Amino acid sequence: MTALEDATTEETDQTADATDSVASSETDSSDSSGGHIRLEGVRKTFDGGDIVACDDVNISMDGGEFVVLVGPSGCGKTTTLRCIAGLEEPDGGRIVVDGEDITGLKSKDRDLAFVFQSIALFPHMSVRKNIRFGLDMKTDLSKAEKRERVESAAETLGLEETLDRKPAALSGGQQQRVSLGRAMVMEPAAFLLDEPFSALDANLRDHMRVEVKKIQRRLETAMVFVTHDQEEAMTLGDKIVVMNDGYVQQIGTPYEIYNEPANRFVADFIGSPSPNLVECTVERTASGVTFASDFCRIPATDEQAAAVQDGQTVVYGIRPEYLSMRDDGGQFTARLDVVEPLGDRDAIHLTSGDTSLSAVTPQGEVSRDRNEVSVAMQTDEAWLFDEHGERIV
Amino acid sequence: MSTDDFDVTAVTLKATTYGVISFLVLFNLVVLAFIFSVSFMPPSEFFGAPHIIPQNPTLDAWTSGFEELQDNLVNSFLIGLGTTVVALAISIPGAYAFARKEFYGKRAGFYAIISAMMFPYILLVIPIMDLWNDLGLYNTIPGMIIAYQVFVTPFAIWILRDFFAKLPTDIEEAAQVYGCTQFTAFLRVILPLATPGIVAVGFLAFLTGWNDFLFANLLTTGTGPVPAVPVLYGTIGGGSGERVYWGKLMAETLIIGTPPTILYLVARNYLENAFTV
Ligand SMILES: Nc1ncnc2c1ncn2[C@@H]1O[C@H](COP(=O)(O)OP(=O)(O)OP(=O)(O)O)[C@@H](O)[C@H]1O
Ligand SMILES: [Mg+2]
Repeated sequence: MTALEDATTEETDQTADATDSVASSETDSSDSSGGHIRLEGVRKTFDGGDIVACDDVNISMDGGEFVVLVGPSGCGKTTTLRCIAGLEEPDGGRIVVDGEDITGLKSKDRDLAFVFQSIALFPHMSVRKNIRFGLDMKTDLSKAEKRERVESAAETLGLEETLDRKPAALSGGQQQRVSLGRAMVMEPAAFLLDEPFSALDANLRDHMRVEVKKIQRRLETAMVFVTHDQEEAMTLGDKIVVMNDGYVQQIGTPYEIYNEPANRFVADFIGSPSPNLVECTVERTASGVTFASDFCRIPATDEQAAAVQDGQTVVYGIRPEYLSMRDDGGQFTARLDVVEPLGDRDAIHLTSGDTSLSAVTPQGEVSRDRNEVSVAMQTDEAWLFDEHGERIV
Repeated sequence: MSTDDFDVTAVTLKATTYGVISFLVLFNLVVLAFIFSVSFMPPSEFFGAPHIIPQNPTLDAWTSGFEELQDNLVNSFLIGLGTTVVALAISIPGAYAFARKEFYGKRAGFYAIISAMMFPYILLVIPIMDLWNDLGLYNTIPGMIIAYQVFVTPFAIWILRDFFAKLPTDIEEAAQVYGCTQFTAFLRVILPLATPGIVAVGFLAFLTGWNDFLFANLLTTGTGPVPAVPVLYGTIGGGSGERVYWGKLMAETLIIGTPPTILYLVARNYLENAFTV
């Protein structure tokens, strides 16, 4: 076929190299070359510029890294991923893979595999043919080599029994595995996955998550994974990219993102239950600096005190786990609304003044029968954000 | 279940449905039975009192009918086939472009094509005859095939456009990610998935070429490639009111009706095996 002739020898070489590295990956895991993706100021608009789907996106990913793009619905995650895949042409910026600018390349000429949210299998082909499709189109491997790759992918994904069925005869989970298999056999520089498990039920989703992470570890191939679920992002990512409204908010490891959010949006978006974010006014007196809200006055730590001015409005943020319940001696008292068991921990929902707060405590520590508790905050774990939501301390 | 649950509306509805369906089926079957039986009757019998079982069955009508139609059936077949091939060759890429591509004047172009279907096409016979005479297409099979495109193609584009538009774009994108150009993605993924639509449209195009009387009669002369249907008209006596040989007429009707029926059965098989996307 013409498409086979189209496949350049260069591509074939790359895939051949990839074969070697995968074959040896279980014994020798030192080398994870390839898959360095860099986005430089990528911008994409729709409807003649009226809708800005993403703008000024700068992300740099190392080979073998698991990067998760996370953000609320409509924030531009899919668009960013489609730009990397070549399914959208950016209005501006560059996309560089392993030092090569691929911004203008057609999708088929990029050494990347995409897994669609909608699965997008070819309904008229058997599972085997679906998985083999990319090999047939892009490579000139021998029949035997193709069969070997297809069967080894099928084995990894537990699809051996289904190879000769049509996609319609598979469950949703199996279909998404086929779609992963179709990507895996390509041994690409990087995998791009757009909310691959959003159509699956919760148990299966957890299971698939682990599978994908394992596969990624074993193949040592860069993976860009899109999700709107912050929990999924935290569990999967080596590196998390938080997006909102088309802009990257923060890039970091799960711990960095969780512990040191760059702004109010990230703080609020990551973690469950959400952190407590309380608007306060800074009061600087002779005895020290305090943050005054409608229900309490919280003393500032030295570091916090140094960064704020008298009269400034700030948002005081603290994770629920740094609120502790006492009988007395806390910084303020609060009404106990609901105790929500989370397994080994309880989420406690409180109201103080007009403000709702949440806390997380070990299981059973706070009795459901209590009406009022005294709350102490571990103030050195708190964050301060300015009126624009940017992090101060 | 107790009789209290007896749902009068549901039962009435069901009874009515079955009533109407039985009536329609009977209506068709009786006529078909008569056509069939008369085709085996000698003239003396069908000019006598009406009855359904032939008393002296004969194959005369069938043999003479078939002899008369032989060459014309070949013409009809070539015309039907040509109409189908040309219509698909035009409408598949056309419909795809209207479904998936953005281009200047897309809406206006589409409505212009659709509105071509709205005219009674007898309007077109005179200009087409005139034009075909000048172009040397008058009284030729290619002339007929091209003439039918005037109303077959818009219809085909209309149906296929919807078909293509309904296929999910991400399947096409998946093909492109995994190594297809837009064109090979179309060939390998879109075309196979659109098979039911293409088969249906192709079948209708064939039927038009096969069954049409107006163009068939007016764009050919007795010396040219006359299709089968105008011959049937001749058997009725060209409307002259002479004695009509009903036996032969019925036999010819059935002969002409057979190929499309077979084709339909083949096509139906295809349509039922269509893939759900
Ligand atoms: N083809 C398109 N035409 C017009 N607007 C679009 C198109 N694709 C995306 N958008 C808009 O761009 C913005 C970003 O969309 P995108 O699909 O990237 O979001 P997302 O982060 O993937 O959201 P979700 O989690 O819901 O999938 C949205 O406002 C969306 O409406
Ligand atoms: Mg999306």
